[in-house]
Formats: sequence, structure tokens, C-alpha cells
Amino acid sequence: MSRRSKSDSRALWIAAVPMFLLALSCLYPFYFALNNALKDNRGYILDRFGLVNDPTFANFITAWSRARFDEYFMNSFTVTVGAVLALLLISSLAGFALAVLRFPYRKLVFVVILASLMIPVQVVLVPFYQTILALDLLNTRTGLILSYTAFFLPFSVYLMTAFYSALPRELVEAARVDGARFIHVWWFIMLPMGRPALLTLAILNTLYCWNDVLISLLVLQDERTLMVGITALRGEYTTNVPLLSAAIVLAAAPIVILYVLFQRKIVAGIATGAVKG
Amino acid sequence: MSSPEKTTPPRKRRGGDGSKAEIRMAFLFLLPALLLVLVFRVFPLAWGFVLSLTNTDGIGKGDWVGFANYTRAVNDPTFQDSIVNTLLLLATLPIWVMLPMLLAILIHQGVPGGKLFRAVYFFPAVLSSVIIGSIFNIVLRYDGSLNNALAAVGIDAVDWLGGSATALGSLIAVQLWSTFGMGVLIFLSGLSTVPDDIIEAARIDGARFWQRLFLIIVPSLRPIIEFVAVVTTIGVLTSMFGLIYVLTGGGPGTSTTLPEFLIWLEQGQLNRPGYASAISMILFVMMGGIAYLQIRIMTRNASL
Amino acid sequence: MINLKTTLLSSAALLTFATGLSAQELTVWDWKSGDPATFGYFDAAKEAFEAANPGATVNFVVQPHDQYYTLLGTALTSGEGPDVVLVHGGAKTQSRAEALVNLTDKAENFSGVEAFSDEAGNVFALPITIQGFAVYYNKDLYEAAGLDRDAAPSSYEELAAACEAIIAKGDVPCFALGNKQGFGGEFFVSQIATSTFSDEDYAAWVAGELSWTDPKVRQIVELWVDGNERGWFNEGANSIAKFMDEYEMFMRSEAAHTVGLLSDVAHWKQFEEFLGEGNVGVFAYPNPDAEVARLPFGGGIGWAVPKAGENQELAMSLVEILADAERQAIFAVETGALPANTEVDTSKLSSEALARALELMASAPGASPHALLNPAVLEEWKRQSQSLLNGDTTVDAAVEAMEAARKANM
Repeated sequence: MSRRSKSDSRALWIAAVPMFLLALSCLYPFYFALNNALKDNRGYILDRFGLVNDPTFANFITAWSRARFDEYFMNSFTVTVGAVLALLLISSLAGFALAVLRFPYRKLVFVVILASLMIPVQVVLVPFYQTILALDLLNTRTGLILSYTAFFLPFSVYLMTAFYSALPRELVEAARVDGARFIHVWWFIMLPMGRPALLTLAILNTLYCWNDVLISLLVLQDERTLMVGITALRGEYTTNVPLLSAAIVLAAAPIVILYVLFQRKIVAGIATGAVKG
Repeated sequence: MSSPEKTTPPRKRRGGDGSKAEIRMAFLFLLPALLLVLVFRVFPLAWGFVLSLTNTDGIGKGDWVGFANYTRAVNDPTFQDSIVNTLLLLATLPIWVMLPMLLAILIHQGVPGGKLFRAVYFFPAVLSSVIIGSIFNIVLRYDGSLNNALAAVGIDAVDWLGGSATALGSLIAVQLWSTFGMGVLIFLSGLSTVPDDIIEAARIDGARFWQRLFLIIVPSLRPIIEFVAVVTTIGVLTSMFGLIYVLTGGGPGTSTTLPEFLIWLEQGQLNRPGYASAISMILFVMMGGIAYLQIRIMTRNASL
Repeated sequence: MINLKTTLLSSAALLTFATGLSAQELTVWDWKSGDPATFGYFDAAKEAFEAANPGATVNFVVQPHDQYYTLLGTALTSGEGPDVVLVHGGAKTQSRAEALVNLTDKAENFSGVEAFSDEAGNVFALPITIQGFAVYYNKDLYEAAGLDRDAAPSSYEELAAACEAIIAKGDVPCFALGNKQGFGGEFFVSQIATSTFSDEDYAAWVAGELSWTDPKVRQIVELWVDGNERGWFNEGANSIAKFMDEYEMFMRSEAAHTVGLLSDVAHWKQFEEFLGEGNVGVFAYPNPDAEVARLPFGGGIGWAVPKAGENQELAMSLVEILADAERQAIFAVETGALPANTEVDTSKLSSEALARALELMASAPGASPHALLNPAVLEEWKRQSQSLLNGDTTVDAAVEAMEAARKANM
């Protein structure tokens, strides 16, 4: 990029201006949420945009204790970790089988898994709930972990399959010639080799699980995950925006931190999956 | 799919299936994934189809009504409008793909501040639609900040969310804003695989920025473009409820009523699960058409 | 590998174990208990119930209001759903009445139970609030427009004159109107029809047999457009949420009138808090075809027991506590809602605006036709009301669309 022509760099500088404004707009929600989280409700109603002039942390305390966000936080944490681990394990196994092993109906299996990507939860709301009920999984975290795993699996299987089929065949063949059993090939070769893709999936699936509302609402009806708790703060008539903002700041913080820490690696992982043509 | 010869790269092994041990292992490795997908996704879908043939109210046992719910949908003006809205939404798809692509190329080409942009553009995708909705509510309403800003430069106020001509467009713009970061990320990762020497060679040839863009970079991104197009389509057809609910409630009239919102209305508010299921099935079939495209692309990309 | 598997399995087992429930725990679904203003009420009910039933506990679960009826629909028959639920009065809940326990013998001292009764007259929920729809006005803004601050309009002409004066003054719109989800249009049905509907009209209306071409019904559409054409409403009503953007406008003195509630929000208490006591006036929306402007009100929200619940006896005793005079008094004082339990001492709820509202409720009571309308037809009216404001349709076309919706949902 060093030998950039003058016209190039002028064009890039011009492009930087709207891009910078766009970046500002992306940061605005965080400012909005933080600023309003520090107001009280009356202060918010009287002046919605102004900078807070008498900051209070009461909303954070209310959100954390009275609105039971401590409990919700643990629920979200448990199911997210559980589902992400299950997703990584299962999609890595399936991806290995689909990309490397030879067996009948390989393509059909792949198509069935991918096709389920088209079945969003709202399309199967009632029957999905009935299924959870029939399996006696209602109001269990296990049920929610299994549901998340099922719903976010197709994309993960796809990515792992794509990733594994991009690996040099010699690696796998060599291992098999050595007489290594398939399970060993998977454990000692595929799993370590798959790290970049697995990391990407870990981050993306964390985001999906953490932010989900509808599946959690249906499965975990008497307990709450964070995002459901936040949605419930929007009342029938009134929304206490400062309280809602405080809750959102608390709920989004872990994800934002995670993203900022890992964003380079997410890019690297997606690349291997989506790009091969 | 129908033409495996074409979609399978030649370097792949053609041969038959593996040994019995290999087949058995493949089955075992796939079992958890298949089981989850069949139990939690395919089976409920089949059940949903059965529900769509009844007039159940969710409480008593419903009666078998055949395809009456489907005829009802076809004759329901609200449903008709929701399909028109869906087509309008799909017509904006090129923007959903091109905008993130252009931004990603600019970042990749070293636009000043690129690192910051890459980090920040993804932020809206992290936030729930509740807070994004609350913010744009205040920005876009008639007495909101956008109109105030326009008034400052002498432009008349527009009822962005309340006018039938602008509501759907505004909603789409907000959804685009809140998800474009994901597209930028995918394109950026795709660009990182375009060999630098090709771009450099073009640069030495004296090719101008726009020439390089359209003759070299964009063609090499074709698989990514398809990938983003399909993933985005599924996204916009199934994840707009949160914003619709907060920003417009489906209105004015039916201007922003999408099938997804109608399903919610019929299911929860009007307590007609049978009819809601029929609309769900129609939505599923519509997405199935797109699914076909998606699977074709993804199968090829995964070299199966 | 084996270690990994064992770890996963045992953590899964742990998770399952952690969610086991005791048989004596009652689960209650509502959309209110997350609101700080209701903490006192819910704490008191929980305490009283657990004291009266040693060993039993109660768990209030706040559900997101937007998905509340979706969830309720899935749970009412499951047997694993909640033991007690909060519901709205009116047609939306009446369609689910057969899944709820009959509470008629416990409903003696309640007003507003009609909104919680099925076709046979059986009561399926004990109301805790009365919901009403009154026009509130800002007395200072009346005075600023040269009007008598204490002369609330009592006829359509007087309202028109007041609006003209306010529009002529030019500072604020006559009405704050939020019609984003169609709530402005929804409430308007009751404001107009409550003054003209006879008992026979109501019966036909509920049965879906009252035509929208009937002059009394068509008048709803006509007056809605009339108000819009006279410029009474603020611009951009279709992008302003009634809850709470419209009311916040009114509370910031940016509009002279608003159609507010008598339940726990958007009411005299909240308005007086922002505008000052003595500055909030109340009247019923006048109808040019009626001598007396009636104030529409009925049962607001109430507690019900799903038949599928396992602890119905216990659940019913909880409902009685949640709806008793002591608990409703707490709810009323802390939120400003009018209690449905007739034994509640309302003397602590005192304000000039409330006194006027209570006077109207006694002298010119009306029902709330919009709450009795078929929910699907009501949805169509919400859509039409928005199109009418935007000028996308005409009175005739709207009436025709409403007729089509009525016939499709009989």
C-alpha cells in the first residue's frame, strides 16, 4: 500500500469523511444509552437529548438488584457458555464427517442441515413450544442450551465443513495411512487445525445466544435471560428509558468487550469459511 | 444438488463411499447434529403445517379446515399488502450488499481511519433492537432530531415513520444501519484472500482506483457477494420484528406490515394459531425459494 | 476425549438439577411487577400470601408485554404454565375465557367485572383497576389562548371554539395525538360511540352485527376525519406513540389536550405532577349527536387462574389477596390507579382533576365500545385510522373496508 498514487489518496481522504460520520453514528447509541442511564426518569422526559447534569447511579443499582439482573446475568452466562461449547463440539464433528469422510447420502445430509437455516423460530412458534413441552425441557436451562444449539447449528456446520474441506488433503490422508483412527484424526488434527474457524464461531454464536429473546422466552418461561429481562422492562404503557438504558449498558458490556478484544480474529476466521469459490 | 458434476471441483476424490468403519464413524459424528436439527427444527415445521390445516384457538381442539386458512390468506388484504412490502424490501437487496462491500474495499485500500471504522461499524449489531428502536424513534419522529436538523437548513419536515411513502424506507434504512457492520466484516475477510500481487500489478500498470475496483477486486469477490446476499435475505425476512414493533407497529395502515409481523399479530394478539401457521408456511416456502439459491451457493463454496 | 465428554455430561446434569421446582411454588405472570411504582403492591401481596400459607412461595415473573399474549397462548393449555396470570379486560381475553377458572363467586365486591366475563356472564378474573378514557386539558394554555381556564367544553361546538382559540394563538396544537400503533384511533371509538350507543347497539356491536354504515358507527370515522381536517391534532401523529410520546408532549405543555387514562399511568396524577395541581382539567369527549357526553370506563386489568395450573386452590387464594381491598389500596395510592374493589378507601386519592373525573363517572357513565370489539376488526380500524390521518383513504372507503373486516370476522 506504500506506492499509492496521489489521486488515490485524495479519493480515500474524501471517502473518509462520510465514513467517519457513519462511525460516529455507530458510537452514538452507546453515548445515548450511557448518558440517559445516568438521568432519572423525570430528567429524561424533560430533556431527552441533553447531557446529564446531575448523574445518578440509581438506575444501575435498580437494574442489577431489584430487576433481578444478577440472576438473569447468571442464566445468560450459563446457557451461552453451554450452547457455544455444544455448538463447537457438534459442528466440528459434523464438519469433519461432511468434509473428509466418504459415506452415502453425504450431500443430502448437508442439504438437510442447511435447509433448516430457513426455519426461523417465529414460523414454528407453537409446535416448537409443544416439542419442548413433550421432551419435558420447559423451564430448564438444558432445554434452552439444546434449542440454541439446534437453531444456530446450520451456520456453524456450514462454516466448519467449508473450513475443513479447504485444508490440504495430505494432512488427513497421511494420518489415515498411519493407521490413526478417525476419532484420533478429529481430536489430534482437525480440532487443533480448526482453531481459527472455531474461534469465529465461538464469538458469533456467543453474540447470537446472548442477544436472543424469542427462543429464550419460549423455553425458559419462568426464569429470565438478560435480553428477555431487558425486553420486559419496556412496560405496556411506560418505558422507563433511563432504567432500560442502564440495563442495556450492563447487558451489552460483556459482548462489546469480547468483540473489541477478538475482532481481528473474527475477520480471519470468517475469511476461510466464506471465501472459497 | 441436481448437478454435482458441475459444483464439485475436480481435485475432489470422486470414488465411492469409504470402508464400513468410515461410514459408521461418519454416522456417529453426524448423529448429534442431525438429531438436533430434526427434533427442534424439522419436526416442529411439519407440526406447524398440520396446525395450518385447522382452526384451533390454542385452547380447545381445533377442527380440520383443509386449506381454508390458505384461501383466507390469499384473500386477506393485509396479507396481500405484507407480500408487496416483502417484495419492496427484497428490491433493496443490492444496497444491502453493495454498501458494505464498498466500505470494506475502502478500508482495505487504506482509507484514513480504517482501523477505527473496522472496529466501530460492527457496534450496532451488538445492541438489541430495543435500544436501537428507542433511539431512532426519537430521531425519526415528526418532531424528532432529524427533522429539526433539516429545518435548520431550510428543508420541510417529513413524517419519516408516519407517512405511508417513507415508513418502509425508513425502517429498511434503520435495519441496514444496524446490520451493515456484519457485511463489512465478511467482505473484509474476503478481501484479505485476494492476492495482493494482483492488485499491486494493476497498480503498476497505472490502472486507476475505480478501474481496479471494478475490473479486479469486485470480480474476485463474487462468492462473497453471493454469500452476503443470501445471508442478508434470510436476515431481513426473519429478523425485522423487533424494529417494526418499536418503530412503526406495522403502520401507517399496512405500510410496514411484513409477514413476520402479521404472524405475531395473528398468533398472539388475535389468538388464531391456525391462520398464523398458514402465513408461517407461506413465508417458509418463499424463503425456500431463496434457500434453494443459498444451498446451491453454499454447497459449491464448501466444495461438496 | 472421554474427559471432555464426562465434563459436558456432568455439567448438563447439574444444569437440569438446578432448575427443579418445589410443588408449593406458585408462578405468576404479569407485565407490571418490574415497574418500580408497583414494588410496594407486589411485595405486600407476596408477604401476605406467604404468611397465610406457610411453606408456599410465590414467584412473580415479568413477561415482555409485546409477547405476553403469544406466551399466554402457548402456556394456557400446557399444564406447566403459570398458576396465576394478569390479563386485560375486553375481547382479547374473553376469547381465552374457557381456559380460565370461573371466579364468579369471589367477584362480589368488584366493579368493572363485565370486561372480565364470558358470554354466559361468568367472571374469569378479579379486576384491580378501572380503566377510563378522559380528555385532560392544560388550564394555563387555555388561559393563554384567552379561554376561561375552568370552563371545560361540554358540547362539540364548545370544543371546536376552544380549539379554534388555541390554534389561533398558534403556540401549541389543540390535541396531542399519538397514533403510531393506532391507539389514538382505538380510543376514539370509545370517546364517540359511548355517548350514542344504546344497550341494543352494544349487543349487536359485540356480536359483530352492527354495520359500520350505521350512522352511529359511521360517525366515529367522520368525526375522526373532522378533527383532523379542522387541524386539531398535532402533525405527524402516525409516528408518535400514544404511550408515552403523546403524554410526554402534554406534560411538557406542548399541547392543550390529550386523551388520557384513569388507570395507573397517563392519568391525572402523572399530569399534575408535571403541570402542577390546579392546572389539569378533565372532561368527556363531546358528541354532536348526544345531549350528554359520557365518560367511557370499565374493568382495566385483573388476575385470573388458568385451568391447566396444578395448584388451583392455592392460586385462587393468591388471587384473592392480590385483589383484596388492602392490596388494591396500596396499588391505588402508589400508582394513582382507580381501584376496582369497591371496598377500597379512595379518600387518599385526592386531587381536583380526579374529583372531576369521579363526578363524571357518577353522572355520565359510559361503556368502552372499543374493548368489546372483535380484536381483528379493531386491528383493521387502527390501520384505517392511520390511513385516514395521512389522507390515503376517504371516509367512504374506510367504512367499506371496516364493513369487509366485520363480515370476515363475524
